[in-house]
Amino acid sequence: MTDHDHDHDHERTVAPMVDEITDFEVLEIALRELCIEKGIFTAEEHRLMTEFAEQIGPTPAAHLVAKAWLDPEFKKLALAEPMTASKEVGVDWLHPTGWGTPSDFTAFQILADTPTVHNVIVCALCSCYPRPILGNSPEWYRTPNYRRRLVRWPRQVLAEFGLYLPDEITVHVQDSNQKHRFMVMPLRPEGTDGWTEDQLVEIITRDCLIGVALPKAGVTTNVITATRPAIHPGNAG
Amino acid sequence: MSERIEVLQEIVARNQVWPVMAAKWGVENPVPPWKTSLDGLCDALDRAACDENIPDFKARRDEEDELSATVYSNLPYPENQLVALAHSLVARGVIDEAELQQRLASIRERLEA
Repeated sequence: MTDHDHDHDHERTVAPMVDEITDFEVLEIALRELCIEKGIFTAEEHRLMTEFAEQIGPTPAAHLVAKAWLDPEFKKLALAEPMTASKEVGVDWLHPTGWGTPSDFTAFQILADTPTVHNVIVCALCSCYPRPILGNSPEWYRTPNYRRRLVRWPRQVLAEFGLYLPDEITVHVQDSNQKHRFMVMPLRPEGTDGWTEDQLVEIITRDCLIGVALPKAGVTTNVITATRPAIHPGNAG
Repeated sequence: MSERIEVLQEIVARNQVWPVMAAKWGVENPVPPWKTSLDGLCDALDRAACDENIPDFKARRDEEDELSATVYSNLPYPENQLVALAHSLVARGVIDEAELQQRLASIRERLEA
């Protein structure tokens, strides 16, 4: 008998939860129910889209880049046929409806960084993002602040993420739109020789795939940025 | 579009936003549990956008940006996304304000039963 062979509940074996019904939870249900009752969409359509939203994330994109770093032939495939390469990391851009989601169109391109060109993606118009392979966009990606300013002052905005690029590196800002989605394939950093795909995936963060950070051995988390409200031109003094 | 909608103003005033709720209950999830259902709702709406008065993807996002920067500038994300969507649907006449108010009350009653 071990000293742990006893019958009691350990504290916090279940994660805490909000045991309170919020107005926002109620509002989401109300909008959904009313839309379904009015025939705008069906409960089945909503369930399908919600399941899609629950299973997406940045891991497949990180695997795609790690595979490309390890295998030059796969890198060629990823750049020439990104949809086919996506399938090799478990992402079918036609999921879940057979033609993608209504807001994720199926024209996808991977932008490979070079020693002299750094890519970063934005959607100046709204918040188009390669959701099937990269998950939901971070909050700051949706803000008018990032969208407007990245296009005009890319180096300044990248510096706010802690990314300072030397002048000899050209910054290529790629604007996504309702027809095309993009992601960045950064360069493999130093200090990762001999690493396995899973080890490499750890350092290929969402931010690296957007282009606001560079992968670095030992760095496995995204930058935390304060969301700045946009200054409305109409209100500016 | 920027006219205030009473029933939504009441929700804003009660301020049960996720950062407050999460701190109160010791929860660490970065987003509220209804977020993925809201994402599903937005996608399902985008698919239906050919119908009269339903905002398409771009109109929905434009209205969300405008409302999040003005009427709902005190709400965090994704509460501002949700309330802006409700505002758009009421302002466009897709959902009637009185109907929404009644439904909010009946859902709360159901969830608290």
